[in-house]
Amino acid sequence: MSDVVTVPVIETERLTLRAPRITDLDAFATFFADERARFVGGPSDRVGTWQILLRMSGHWQLRGYGLWVAARRTTGEPVGYAGIVNHVDWPEPELGYAIFAAWEGRGYAFEAAEAARSAAAERFGIARPISLVAPENTRSVRLAKRLGAAFERDIELRGETTYVFRHPGAEGAAA
Amino acid sequence: MIERVVLHTERLTLRPLRTSDFEAYSAYYTGPRARFVGGPVTRGEAFTKFCAMIGHWQMRGFGRFAICLRDDDTGFGHAGLLQVEDARLPELTWTLWTADAEGRGYAREAATAVRDHAFGPLGLPALSAIVHRDNAASARVAEALGGVADPDLPVRFDDERAFRFDAAPVEVPA
Repeated sequence: MSDVVTVPVIETERLTLRAPRITDLDAFATFFADERARFVGGPSDRVGTWQILLRMSGHWQLRGYGLWVAARRTTGEPVGYAGIVNHVDWPEPELGYAIFAAWEGRGYAFEAAEAARSAAAERFGIARPISLVAPENTRSVRLAKRLGAAFERDIELRGETTYVFRHPGAEGAAA
Repeated sequence: MIERVVLHTERLTLRPLRTSDFEAYSAYYTGPRARFVGGPVTRGEAFTKFCAMIGHWQMRGFGRFAICLRDDDTGFGHAGLLQVEDARLPELTWTLWTADAEGRGYAREAATAVRDHAFGPLGLPALSAIVHRDNAASARVAEALGGVADPDLPVRFDDERAFRFDAAPVEVPA
């Protein structure tokens, strides 16, 4: 790897998926400070969240794909993130997503995750990713199902039981 | 777009970190030699730190390099700059991943190149270095580079001390 990876920009009806930026730290720090972030590697203080944001950015360079920050097209405000995560101890590339508390209930998570899934298939050849979901994260379980993903198995990940959902391929064909 | 910087010293090349460096980095950070830098950590945590080092370049435009010999591309340490918060001085860091690489002056040589790059092309006026109190070898490197112990600089933990480095003042004719 010697070339710098440029993170593609994806537009949906209401969101722009783009590379993480230093100016996203406040929105991420608010989200990760909350107990609700326990399902996605938090809670975390500001310095820890800075590390999470750097990791998102570096993951693109190492893997060639990663998590986009989802921002409102109208105002540019970051509302969450979605994309493909493949940490060294992950079983395979994962479609990950989270929406910050203030922006829940508007369908942003679905919109961001669906766009990220399509982009991952088209641009990175990741056709049927998994999603890793904590069993008690009912909101995320529901979203995985709405996205057409099916429960496949549970695994032990970083000492926790984790559900593996499998996403369908293009046009929802679970081939 | 971030330009990928490469620095050269008499014996060393400081180049961008890449995927093939991860195993050596992870072996270091999951092992006992990482005790002065918050380790040992799990392999997953090492991956987070490794990604974050690379992401730092994207976010700040500067960061940490892999250290290798000029005629061998195998990374055996990292050195460079990190800045956690805008309000803090950028930190000068240097780490050798294996005991074999110690005792040859590589850390000092790499850190000197980073310091000169920071004060030269990057135009930074001052740097800090955070060193564990029991890490005498690193404290010697900090002092050799012109670092002055500065108890007013913030540290993460009580068992660390901070050094301050100032760029040479620009001579103003009287």
